[in-house]
Amino acid sequence: MSGYIEAGYIIAFSVLGTYATSVVVRERAAGTRLRRRNYDATRAGSPAGRDKDAPVGN
Amino acid sequence: MTLLTTRQETPDDAPRPDQDTRGQGQRASRRASHILSAFGFFGFVGLCFTVWLGLWITPPDEFMGNLVRLLYVHPPLAWVAFLAYGVAFLSSLAYLWPRTRSLVLDRLAGASAEVGVVFTGLTLVTGSIWGRPTWGTYWTWDPLLTTTALLFVLYLGYLALRQVPGDAEVRARRCAIGALVAFIDVPIVYFSVIWWKSLHQAPTVLDPINGKTYVHGSMAWTLLLGFVSFTLVYVWLVGHRYRLAELRDREDDEGLEAAIAERRAEANP
Repeated sequence: MSGYIEAGYIIAFSVLGTYATSVVVRERAAGTRLRRRNYDATRAGSPAGRDKDAPVGN
Repeated sequence: MTLLTTRQETPDDAPRPDQDTRGQGQRASRRASHILSAFGFFGFVGLCFTVWLGLWITPPDEFMGNLVRLLYVHPPLAWVAFLAYGVAFLSSLAYLWPRTRSLVLDRLAGASAEVGVVFTGLTLVTGSIWGRPTWGTYWTWDPLLTTTALLFVLYLGYLALRQVPGDAEVRARRCAIGALVAFIDVPIVYFSVIWWKSLHQAPTVLDPINGKTYVHGSMAWTLLLGFVSFTLVYVWLVGHRYRLAELRDREDDEGLEAAIAERRAEANP
């Protein structure tokens, strides 16, 4: 096979994989940030944090 | 007089309506998460099989030889880009319709358009790689290539428009109009090979004029698997991108709520 085919496959799947990973990582980070903020707000007695979940692992 | 003696009948222990709704919401969210994971899993497995069949099992083409193996990647990428823009178009249209107006549709349009831009970029790159040994050049100002590049730029503009700060409703309306305008280029891209003389070949998978297909046997099945797998991956990506947008909106809302509460506390010590 010529190098063009391999290049096409490698570029397509590596870009797709990198994008997918970045989306999942950003989603997890946003979820953690939100839970942490709610937890801190609950501890501080702020109305914004009432009835919210505590961060996982804390 | 009846005394409330059992735990179930104690008013304090009865589930509050908001807790009940939250419980249902969490269950629905978990179910959606499982369904999304299934899409991701089957999409990934399908892509592995597509690569295996495409690179090692399917025969070379009579005219193009081994270069035909890019067929199992390039058209499915283009199809997903069109699908993504179609979803963004329909969501935006539904958002502009007063009866169905919801920020859920705006987030869906944004998520789908972003995934579409990634797939359009990959369509251009894989097409360019295929073009070098076939046409002797990576790029030519062919109608299909030019309109596809324009499509890529139009949706990059749409994504930039989504980043413009402002009220959520105003931004959503502005972006919905932007998505409708950008979508005009999608049928132009598809029919450009029929309307104008193009270096790019006319549709071979499904000819829109006579409804014929020019791909058969193991090549057709591998191509079909490619289409299905990339579509499953698209659904999985949009699901996660949508959730990210939702979490960011919640972050913004709760940040604002906390800031207001803090100000009130300062004003009324």
